[in-house]
Amino acid sequence: MFDYKDYLVETDKFALNIGPSHPATHGVLRVLVKLDGETIVHAEPIIGYLHTSMEKYAEYKTYHQAETITDRMDYVAGASNNLGYILAVEKLCGVKAPKRAEYVRVILAEFTRISSHLVWLATHAVDLGALTEFLYCFRERELILDIIETVTGSRMTPSFYRVGGLAMDIHNDFIEKTRSFIKIFPDKINEYEALLTKNKIWLERTKNLGIISAESAINFALTGPSLRGSGVKYDVRKVNPYSSYEDFDFEVPIGDNGDTYDRYVIRIEEMRQSLKIITQAVENIPEGEYLSHDEYPLYVKPTKKRSLTTMEGMIFNFKYGMEGIKPPKGEAYQSIENPRGELGFYLVSDGSAFPYRMRVRPPSFCNISALNEMTKGHMVADLIAIMGSVDILLGEVDR
Amino acid sequence: MDVMFALTVIKESKPKAIVSADNIKGDVHIQIKKEDLLEFALFLKTDSRLEFDMLSDLFAVDYPKRAERIEVIYNFYSIKNNFRVFIKVRSKTDETEYPSLTPVYNSANWFEREAYDMFGLKFKDHPDLKRILNPDDWDGHPLLKDYPLRKRPEPEEIKMDDPGYIDIEKI
Repeated sequence: MFDYKDYLVETDKFALNIGPSHPATHGVLRVLVKLDGETIVHAEPIIGYLHTSMEKYAEYKTYHQAETITDRMDYVAGASNNLGYILAVEKLCGVKAPKRAEYVRVILAEFTRISSHLVWLATHAVDLGALTEFLYCFRERELILDIIETVTGSRMTPSFYRVGGLAMDIHNDFIEKTRSFIKIFPDKINEYEALLTKNKIWLERTKNLGIISAESAINFALTGPSLRGSGVKYDVRKVNPYSSYEDFDFEVPIGDNGDTYDRYVIRIEEMRQSLKIITQAVENIPEGEYLSHDEYPLYVKPTKKRSLTTMEGMIFNFKYGMEGIKPPKGEAYQSIENPRGELGFYLVSDGSAFPYRMRVRPPSFCNISALNEMTKGHMVADLIAIMGSVDILLGEVDR
Repeated sequence: MDVMFALTVIKESKPKAIVSADNIKGDVHIQIKKEDLLEFALFLKTDSRLEFDMLSDLFAVDYPKRAERIEVIYNFYSIKNNFRVFIKVRSKTDETEYPSLTPVYNSANWFEREAYDMFGLKFKDHPDLKRILNPDDWDGHPLLKDYPLRKRPEPEEIKMDDPGYIDIEKI
């Protein structure tokens, strides 16, 4: 007589410690998982292993020195983080950058969005066992970093923006390089999709996994692709346009299930939309100054040519370099759409050259806090897939 | 709809709780009394005209020269209506207890732990109030203005009865 009870495996409850130094946690995230057999009962992310107290450090830097901290926070999307910070300082001073500078900022921010999504896709695919994808993605990422280097002079941490514009005018090669990238990239996205989107193994490992409902996602303050995967159409670029985003025509992709696969599809589609924005921006870059010194001489530095050829220009450049800018007393909050979600900067000024308080609203910090909600009831191997699909960056979680 | 509409609704419904309200560079900043905080947050979330369904951020600012030293700022956002308000609460010292918003917003959990870690603020009825970014045995609260930038923890003294201690002179 066959009795199935004889063949059941008895499971034990135990705790498993993953990380902080583990290749699948993309940094130094530690997850304390309580297991029943192989099923997750509770997963608690423990953070802080990369904490460098950037908010405190910024209080001892002038407004432009503090900009260099912000791109080290999110080292995969540096230009995007700089943009959020500089827009907050500009809001504090009441400064507006010229149209030419705004378009260049948009192009750089969208390039970093593509390159950040490529890094995410590459590492996420490696976690799930698709190594080819990794090599494909890093091939195109190199092209993007090359373009960013042409304009800003550095690949990962540009710090290229200044209050009221850019550090210098764009390089001649920039537009040509961007155009040739626009030509080749759509085919490359199809190439990535050919490997994964309808792949049976990929679907099995990502569909119906790590589901989070729209209501729960909002309650956990998730933003970015993690929120849009649950079907909430919230994108700061559309809702509160900044830096001339209202000039461009693009779609905001949303999912309906809120699972790992939806978050993957959304990021792939976002790359296409970013390319669309770059195409429109690069063909319509307006002529003119790249710094709005004429309108706001108190807060914006003169262009290089003017500071070398005119008396006033040299005086302003000296004061700007020696004293820094001194925004009026007050507070300002500005948020942008980072590749990972809504990145906000809250600045408090006491009228001196140093920010009295710089608060960063980090998107990854909120996104990883919902990990327990997403992983409950799944297997340990799925934890890696879910953790990858949220796309966190520990530099920004810990600051 | 404009965010000023939200300000009028809040002013009409909760006139007693509000200390001051103003509009700074297009953002609405409202200062309220600390005792009314939890009730106020519940009202913001459930009122059908407002629906502030996301606690987007929570942090503190330290003003050592003021009588009411700590200012906690809550950043509420309504996805449906695109409203954003900053609710501010002031208190004299960092020892007073704040009501925890964790029953209303899940995101308050980690934000409040961070505020406790960085400023030493205590939140009543928080499920798991412990340090989040600094080590558990860290001394002091780094973002207070009287905490020096380059403070280092003092090196631990090695005691004779520690396991593994070898007295070199005896060898």
